[in-house]
Amino acid sequence: MRATDEVAAAPGIHVQGIKKSFGTQVVLDGVDLEVPRGHITVVIGRSGTGKSVLLKHVMGLLRPDAGTIRVGDDDLATLGPRALRQVRFRFGMVFQHAALFDSMDVYENVAFPLREHGFKTAAGQRKMREPEIKARVEEMLGAVGLTGVGAKGVSELSGGMRKRVGLARALVRDPEFLLYDEPTTGLDPIMTAQIDNLIRGTQDRNPGITSLVISHDMAATFRIADHVAMLYEGRVRLYGTPEEFRHTDDPVVRQFVEGRLDGPITV
Amino acid sequence: MNPVSALGHSIIAWVEAFGGYLQFVGRAGVSGLLPPYRTRLLLKHMHFVGVQSLTIVIITGLFTGMVFAIQAEIGFSQFGANGLIGGIVALSLTRELSPVLTALMVNGRVGSSMAAELGTMRVTEQIDALESMAIDPLQYLVAPRLLAAVIMVPALNMIFNLIGLAGCWYVAVKQLRVPEGGFWDRIWWYVDADDIVGGCIKAAVFGFILASVGCYQGFTTRGGAEGVGRATTTAVVVAGVLILTGDYFLTRILAPLSVG
Ligand SMILES: Nc1ncnc2c1ncn2[C@@H]1O[C@H](COP(=O)(O)OP(=O)(O)O)[C@@H](O)[C@H]1O
Ligand SMILES: [Mg+2]
Repeated sequence: MRATDEVAAAPGIHVQGIKKSFGTQVVLDGVDLEVPRGHITVVIGRSGTGKSVLLKHVMGLLRPDAGTIRVGDDDLATLGPRALRQVRFRFGMVFQHAALFDSMDVYENVAFPLREHGFKTAAGQRKMREPEIKARVEEMLGAVGLTGVGAKGVSELSGGMRKRVGLARALVRDPEFLLYDEPTTGLDPIMTAQIDNLIRGTQDRNPGITSLVISHDMAATFRIADHVAMLYEGRVRLYGTPEEFRHTDDPVVRQFVEGRLDGPITV
Repeated sequence: MNPVSALGHSIIAWVEAFGGYLQFVGRAGVSGLLPPYRTRLLLKHMHFVGVQSLTIVIITGLFTGMVFAIQAEIGFSQFGANGLIGGIVALSLTRELSPVLTALMVNGRVGSSMAAELGTMRVTEQIDALESMAIDPLQYLVAPRLLAAVIMVPALNMIFNLIGLAGCWYVAVKQLRVPEGGFWDRIWWYVDADDIVGGCIKAAVFGFILASVGCYQGFTTRGGAEGVGRATTTAVVVAGVLILTGDYFLTRILAPLSVG
């Protein structure tokens, strides 16, 4: 099923028929997913259905057993390591468990992508000087509500704080494609709303970017999504607008959306 | 499974692991040759491998030299050749004891910590995070560690030589009353540059072995904290075995060097 509203002219992320098994465990069994540019697409599904695995395929961190992934105009399978790196330049990823570098403090973590790659401009990459880096890092820490924690070590942070540092690190270079793996899981409701605002606000301020969010929080999904896809038993069960998810007749989707115990999904 | 096919499977698993290791080492080597060069990281790891191993190398070197002086005296005093103690111990140190014992000590400290550190980074997705930021983890994490070990283990080997010799001198000359002049004469007589160079070559190879095995085990860690523990143990055991078996083959290869 395709979304009915307008699809942005430039291609976004296009996943077709990908399959992935680990040993004998089939995780993805023919996933098709359209992530149109200029929108937020949310992938929902129960824990362990392969949402994180799907996201890692989009970044080329995992190679599919079958199927194709296109990012913009590039087919990931055809790219060598160098070209793949060029594609990753355009991504920012928030990992489910933050994946902060524990050999660095908070400030160094957020500054890391800038130190490595500089900041992108119309002309390409540009090296940044230390005062510029400092200003940018502090701006990002402020945006996630963590002003003044730059000097803290990663191990001193709560789970929610780590998540937000991970978010700041992913956003610091203004990437074109944003991948969020459960950005609000484990945060309190107010912080969840703030992060949802940040995701929505980042998207709305930069109409050219593309966001792919993984979530199992239905309220948050309805707040931020332009399109929703539900992953179930290795495939996309339903793809549509939040409206379509609210009014679907599919008993599997209804059970998940309404969070009921009785239904076709067994616990 | 019957024993024959069980053996077959474990042989296949070993061959696969070895192939994976060779590929890993090759790719890390290539990544390390390409810019950007990570000088800051290299210095940091050289500090960790070299400077922070000084204490254990000094202690083990000192006691190795002292105990070998005692053992040599037991042998040589039987035919009144105590003057040979210095020469023989110096030769054993430079050619065998220093490179092997230095490498085994550094393996216990550094190989294990490389496996644990990279293993933790793997299971907490820090390595994925590097890749997602278009950083080559082989270049960022592995190449500086390999190079640091290849540089610093030979340096530690030289320190082991000197300290070991000092320990030997103390026991032989100060305690066992070996004449000081004869002690040093025999050392200059027996030990030449080839022995020292050969020992340093061994140490460099051992440094490469312990760092590459530690990094490989860490890099391929699976399965949480338990996996990290397993990777660490495997790294130390495998590198230890490779150092001792490799020593035999290196000695054979290097032997013509000192004969010729
Ligand atoms: N690198 C891997 N090796 C083996 N199994 C994996 C790997 N990554 C994920 N899996 C398995 O794939 C399944 C889906 O995982 P994941 O994508 O993390 O689920 P989720 O939808 O909760 O994000 C899980 O059963 C997990 O154990
Ligand atoms: Mg997940």
